[in-house]
Amino acid sequence: MLLFRSEQHIDRWCQQWNRSRGGTLSLAQGWKLAQLWYGDRLNPRWQPKSAAEAEKAFAEVGLVGEFWKLE
Amino acid sequence: MSIDFDSQLRLFVYRHTIRTGRVPTVAETARLSGSTVRQVRSGLLRLSKSHAFMLQENGELWRVAPFSAIPTPFPVHVGKKFWFGNCIWDALGIPAMLGKDAHISASCGCCNDQMPVEVKSGQLSAGEGIIHIAVPAREWYKDVVFT
Repeated sequence: MLLFRSEQHIDRWCQQWNRSRGGTLSLAQGWKLAQLWYGDRLNPRWQPKSAAEAEKAFAEVGLVGEFWKLE
Repeated sequence: MSIDFDSQLRLFVYRHTIRTGRVPTVAETARLSGSTVRQVRSGLLRLSKSHAFMLQENGELWRVAPFSAIPTPFPVHVGKKFWFGNCIWDALGIPAMLGKDAHISASCGCCNDQMPVEVKSGQLSAGEGIIHIAVPAREWYKDVVFT
C-alpha cells in the first residue's frame, strides 16, 4: 500500500511493475482506517478481525465493492 | 483473569518494540520474557497465522503490524523515537495505535518525491496524495510485497 503524488503517478507505477490498477483511497480515509484497524491493538484481549468485521471497517470509511470484499 | 501465553507473547513483542524502537529477536524475547526459544518460536508461528505477525524465513519476526522489523520507505517519528511502518497504512497505524503525534517521512511510490504526513492530536494535520492498494482484499496475504 503505497502513497502516490497523483493518479498519473499510480498509472506510471502500475506500468513500471506490469500490474493492473488496484484500489485507491484518500489519505484521510487511510487515517480513519488505520484508527479502526490499529486503535485496539494493545488491548490484551485483542483478536484478529473476522472477514465480516474487516469489511465493516472498510465500509465505515467508504471502501465498498468487490475489491474490498473478503468473503 | 490471566491471558494465555500467545497473548502475553504478542504484548511482550509490542511493548519491547514500542519501548526500544526495535522488534526483538527470538533469543531476546525468550531471555527477557522468561520463556524458552522453542516456546517463543512456536508462539510466534501461531501468532503469524493471523498475519498481524509475519516471520522471515529464518524464523525471526518480519512484520509486527503496524511495525516492520526491517527498514522500509515509511519511517515514522514519534517524539525522539522512530519505527518503520510496513506500508503507508501501517505507517498511519503507528500513531493510531500509540495515540501519539507523529511525522511520517513518506515518499511517492512512483518517483520517490518526499510526501511528509503529520498526525497531531488524533487528526491528520498535514499530508497529501492518494493511497493505492495493488491487490484485492481477499488476496492481500498471498502477495504481501505488492499489497
